[in-house]
Amino acid sequence: MIDHATHSVPRRLGLIITFGLAALAMIYLSYSLPRLLPGDFVTAMYSSSHVTLTAEQEAELRAYYTEEPGFGRYLLKLASLDWGYSYAFLTPVSALFFGALPWTLLLLGTAHVISMLVGFVTGVEAAWRRDSHLEKSMVGGMTVLEGVPEISTGVILLVVFALHLGWFPAAGAETAYAEVSLLARLADVGHHLALPLATLVLAYFPGNFLLTRNSMVMVIKQSYITTARAKGLPARRIRYAHAARNALLPLVTRFGLRLAFMITGALVVERIHSYPGLGTLLYNAIQARDLPVIQAVVLASSLMVLTIILGLEMIYRIIDPRIEHAR
Amino acid sequence: MKKRMTLFVCRLILFLVFGLVASVGQLVQAGVKEVRIADSKGDWGYPNPYRHYPRGPGYVRMSWVFDTLVWKDDKGYIPALAKKWTYDPKSLAFTFELQEGVKWHDGQPFSAEDVVFTVNYYKKHPYQWVPLGDVAGAEAQGPNRVVIKLAKPYSPFMAYVGGVMPILPRHIWENVTDPKKYSDPRAFIGCGPYKFKDFNKAKGNYLYEAFDDYYQGRPKADRLIYVKAGKPLITLSTGKADLANIEPDMAEPLEKKGMVILTNARGWNKKLMINHKKNPFNDKRFRQALAHAINQQEIIEKAHRGFGSPASFGLLSPDHEFYNPSTPTYAPDPAKARQILESLGYAKGSGGFYAKDGRPLKVEILSSNITVAGESVTDRDGEVIKRQLGAVGINVDLVNMEQATTDARVKKWDFDLAISGHGGLLGDARILNRMINPKVTGSVNSARFGANKDLLKLLKAQVAEMDTEKRKALVYKIQEIYADEVPAISLYYPASMAAYNPEKGIKWYYTQGGIGLGIPIAQNKMSLVK
Repeated sequence: MIDHATHSVPRRLGLIITFGLAALAMIYLSYSLPRLLPGDFVTAMYSSSHVTLTAEQEAELRAYYTEEPGFGRYLLKLASLDWGYSYAFLTPVSALFFGALPWTLLLLGTAHVISMLVGFVTGVEAAWRRDSHLEKSMVGGMTVLEGVPEISTGVILLVVFALHLGWFPAAGAETAYAEVSLLARLADVGHHLALPLATLVLAYFPGNFLLTRNSMVMVIKQSYITTARAKGLPARRIRYAHAARNALLPLVTRFGLRLAFMITGALVVERIHSYPGLGTLLYNAIQARDLPVIQAVVLASSLMVLTIILGLEMIYRIIDPRIEHAR
Repeated sequence: MKKRMTLFVCRLILFLVFGLVASVGQLVQAGVKEVRIADSKGDWGYPNPYRHYPRGPGYVRMSWVFDTLVWKDDKGYIPALAKKWTYDPKSLAFTFELQEGVKWHDGQPFSAEDVVFTVNYYKKHPYQWVPLGDVAGAEAQGPNRVVIKLAKPYSPFMAYVGGVMPILPRHIWENVTDPKKYSDPRAFIGCGPYKFKDFNKAKGNYLYEAFDDYYQGRPKADRLIYVKAGKPLITLSTGKADLANIEPDMAEPLEKKGMVILTNARGWNKKLMINHKKNPFNDKRFRQALAHAINQQEIIEKAHRGFGSPASFGLLSPDHEFYNPSTPTYAPDPAKARQILESLGYAKGSGGFYAKDGRPLKVEILSSNITVAGESVTDRDGEVIKRQLGAVGINVDLVNMEQATTDARVKKWDFDLAISGHGGLLGDARILNRMINPKVTGSVNSARFGANKDLLKLLKAQVAEMDTEKRKALVYKIQEIYADEVPAISLYYPASMAAYNPEKGIKWYYTQGGIGLGIPIAQNKMSLVK
């Protein structure tokens, strides 16, 4: 046991060094990649506008907006948590980022949790009822649903439930500047969340269902399940405590990676439903060539991928102790 | 007794009727609580002259807060901060008699000194919407009269300065040295009908509140709200917005729902940019062959379900007062296009495409989504043009890219042909200078064409001609030369429409010649004032 602990210290140190180097590479990429985009802020903002610029005016504006801090200064600024100023808004990038983040967390976080829970439970139950009509039709239905892209589901839901039935609002995260009580505001936020959330749940849930069901089918063939049955344990306990726990691992991986792509993943849905969030922030920043904002969002999203992968490494050991023992 | 009873009943009826009329009157007087305008992009910057985005919707958002000397409605110029104005050709001076009792949103009085300060401030810290190169300076003659002197005759003065220049409060801006970075709440104090209250950057929503002391009377709606809506049409038809731009094919169903449909005059054109600095496009005859190869009506039919009308080759809209009906035109004529190409030494090669000196004639067309009246519109014209040029024998490589990437290439002259578009064709004829003059380097819509010296001379002369009839003659000539040279090809005017809910009693309209420099958006602030 002591031996095992002393071995794990350098291993963890190695892991942290590896991730640290990857983070540094990400920071460099977040600095250099947006600079490779053709065009710049002045071109994107002014070239098709109502304003016509002479060469001198253009040069002045470019000098005003373009800052070339160099990678060293960029790194120093990052270390002091200075994300710079947005060219378009002339406000700190951090304010823009943290203004958009809660909406992304609300929409994507809820969508992931719901689709994972529902996908997991239905997947487990379907695998348990293998070869029944219900299971077959569910697998068929989910396979079809898995193939339908978010853009189609989003538009269909919008046309049916917003345009024709009028049950849900078509755009935004809440009624803009509504003068209502806190409770009414919360209800309004929920009302606005319904359609984009449904779109995302419909996009994520089938994959979770199919993954859980397939893992479960493999697990319930194992002899320890037969042993558990022979012991006369209640069916639900066998399903969840014995079988499902071992089928959980791929789902956790999927959940983690999906979360990591949270920023860009919701762009389509954010655009269709005009929902605020980091996807829209990044999209607008790219269109306007607002380099400081692009840098910040790209960096935050890549660091998030790294952190989640690191987190998954830790979580695997808890969920499945075999990983630790296998080393 | 009976008589008394009848009298009583009559009085009662009269009382009830008057009461009803009075309460309805009060209801109307009370005004509208709020007006909501839907917009698909949402974010157009902060509404002050230095922080709004340089496109139309940015200017419009600013225009609610800041007033100009004169303004326009659906018929033409109307008084704003200036109640009267005159021009003296001898002294090259515009004299503006200002309104009395005007207040800034912070309660401070407005005066002629603010106008003088604004002119000087914009000269020092340029506001690109208002070119002041031809303005010598401004002078206050008492608190309510200001004289703006020109350095030389400048005919677009009212269109580009008097009717566009937002007046800044001197007491706030006199100590501001970097106006772009000035973000204090006081940076949004104007003397327009609405006070700026909030801009939610994440959600793309704007909130304005009526300015009670507005000199033209309190605005009709207490609050004005811009809401971001990816599909403004749905937001409008579900009652979540009162006004939105719409796709022309949705006009009929919306009309059935009781909406009022507005159709704009032809002031925005889709345009094929030509790299006339590069062989073979530097030859006028080759460009004319392209013009004959293109069938404008077919593009409208196939890519826009017939909603649009063919554009004049002379750039100015047929609805413009200076439009020249004799502008040369190029009928769609593939045979003529082929004949011109063959006269230039091209011969049909393999695959039915032309080649010259063993080199195949292959051109690249850049296309991208284009922002029209604030809405991003997908390009479908490239496919039709590719087929039309292909039918003549020109091999086309159609490349669809994101707008800023296309813009960057067009600006650097790194292209053959590019699909672009712009408005302003109903505003002052100075648009011709902006869209032709090679000195305008910062625009991807400008032909930047300097090969014809006569054209350049005429452009210079028309903005210096203060006599309307003489100026019109110059503009006629410009259209003729431009259409003959075809440095770019105006393709068509898309049908531009908006719809509004009339229930709140507000009448929206498209402004004569467009808002400010020619913005084709039906959101004139006067709709909420008078």
